[in-house]
Amino acid sequence: MRRVAALFCALLCLASCSPAPKKHSSTLFAMDTVMELQVYGDESVLASSAELIKELESELSATDEHSAVYAFNHRSAGLSGPALDVLSRAMDISRLTGGALDVTVYPLVLAWGFTTGQYRVPDKTEIAGLLEKVGYEKLTGLTLPEGAMIDLGAVAKGYASDKVVELWREKGVTSGLMSLGGNVYALGVKPGGDKWTVGVRDPFSDGLLGSVEVENAAVVTSGGYERYFEENGVTYHHIIDPKTGYPANSGLASVTIVGPDGTLCDGLSTAFFVMGLDAAAETWKSYGPGFEAIFVTDDREIYITEGLESSFSVMGSYDKSDVRVIRRGQN
Amino acid sequence: MVKTKTWIIIISAIFLLSLVFSLLIFLRPRRAGTAEIYVDGELIRTVDLDNDETFTVDTGRGVNTVLVSAGRIRVIDADCPDRVCVKSGWLTGSAPIVCLPHRLVISFSSDTGGPDAVAG
Amino acid sequence: MNVRRLAKDAVLTAVALGIYVVELQLPALTPIPGVKPGLANIVTVAAMFTLGPADAGGILACRLILGSLFAGNVAALLYSAAGGVLAYATMLIFRRVLTKSQIWVASVFAAMAHNVGQIAAAMALTSTPSIVVYLPVLLVSGVAAGLLTGLAAQYTVKRLGKHLK
Repeated sequence: MRRVAALFCALLCLASCSPAPKKHSSTLFAMDTVMELQVYGDESVLASSAELIKELESELSATDEHSAVYAFNHRSAGLSGPALDVLSRAMDISRLTGGALDVTVYPLVLAWGFTTGQYRVPDKTEIAGLLEKVGYEKLTGLTLPEGAMIDLGAVAKGYASDKVVELWREKGVTSGLMSLGGNVYALGVKPGGDKWTVGVRDPFSDGLLGSVEVENAAVVTSGGYERYFEENGVTYHHIIDPKTGYPANSGLASVTIVGPDGTLCDGLSTAFFVMGLDAAAETWKSYGPGFEAIFVTDDREIYITEGLESSFSVMGSYDKSDVRVIRRGQN
Repeated sequence: MVKTKTWIIIISAIFLLSLVFSLLIFLRPRRAGTAEIYVDGELIRTVDLDNDETFTVDTGRGVNTVLVSAGRIRVIDADCPDRVCVKSGWLTGSAPIVCLPHRLVISFSSDTGGPDAVAG
Repeated sequence: MNVRRLAKDAVLTAVALGIYVVELQLPALTPIPGVKPGLANIVTVAAMFTLGPADAGGILACRLILGSLFAGNVAALLYSAAGGVLAYATMLIFRRVLTKSQIWVASVFAAMAHNVGQIAAAMALTSTPSIVVYLPVLLVSGVAAGLLTGLAAQYTVKRLGKHLK
């Protein structure tokens, strides 16, 4: 009898060893933010993805004294490798947006204290003085003019997401999702065949204003709500307009860019936030397909570009009637 | 030896407790916009309950025919021996429809439409 | 194992199988998988308390295997086997602490153990832990079914006990 029982137990164990769901995820802290990675299939890519991100961080950080960017800023080395690659991508976006994204705005970001958290409002003459050092077009031949410094932070996370997706594809991963501190990239579709649903944060509350359904696309939001401080009743946020030297005040509360190129989306979300709705919409129209955008104005209106018409839905305190669609054929 | 009366009390307690939990589980109204179909514990399909449709699921052990109608979902045909999944009727409450011979499970989506990730 | 004992076990297995097959023909009481009276266990319980664990185990194993073949549902064997093993183990324990007039108690706990085994097997095989929500319902039915078969076994032992031994 014992043998019969043992046989049943063995059978039961054997049958219960069926393949388990293959979702793997990991969380890491890099580039001053929390990153979450999730893949279906090969678990080992998570570790190599984390390694890749840390590697990029050590090259691209403006504050890490051992980074390539730090060395470049302090005139101890020229720029090469990924940092050079990221810089040239950022320069492309600067040209595309008329300098609304500008990697040389870094001295101003330092002056406002956004890198250290020791926030202060610089006086007018200080800002005017620093503004003279700013200007991506002065960055010719890859040498920095006197007093100028660069920061690749506005595209670093987007670039990292592109590189991680590249790695995933190489390793045969067909379905995965990452959030590099709110820089989302969705590879493929969910295992059930559905598109990934990515929420868009409401700049006026802790909740979401809506969500987009995407596949093989980055979703990146920039907004003044992400980092700011108050002084004498005035709120100052972290996105500095390279033209004025002050926090961008374009009437937008947040900009979300959706598209397959994570670096482009990351850079454009910042640039469009600086440019304001009208100029950003014009840029989108002239660019042609390649990305879509969601704009939220300070008046809580939502503008989406026509490519998102079917994949974007509002939620929370927003209503469909708050959403306006920007079309290429219109002015 | 434990008195018979003690056994009766223990058994009654278990019975009543289970009864309360069963009622909670089966009568708790639970509605979701999507249902999920699992085979061998693996999510193979997410079903939008707003779209009426009939489709078959080939589980590798047999085929189940699933009907989605007016926001509800059920198995209407199966080539398994016991056909319990068909007799289960519409999916209600927290108790999933289970076809043990085919290792198929249908349940309402656990996340109530929350996004997979948040940008910002 | 002598021939007399073998014959007794064989007859009891046949009786259990007969009950099992007849029960299969009854319409299902509920659409919930695993909810059934399990009347064939009258034989298992009675055998356990008269012939002893070895004979009861043999009868149970044969009935489970042949029963699933007769029902044409071999896939279900794993679930009933998981339940059967747990129920059997439970009866082994209760056998030591119960008096002759408390046989039905062992049956109730064995029935509940059977349900736990069934659910555990179903959770493992479908890799879906969420179906544990069926456990309370199965326990309700298990207590009722265990009571029914237990009392029936109690009377069987009382009336036929000496013939069985």
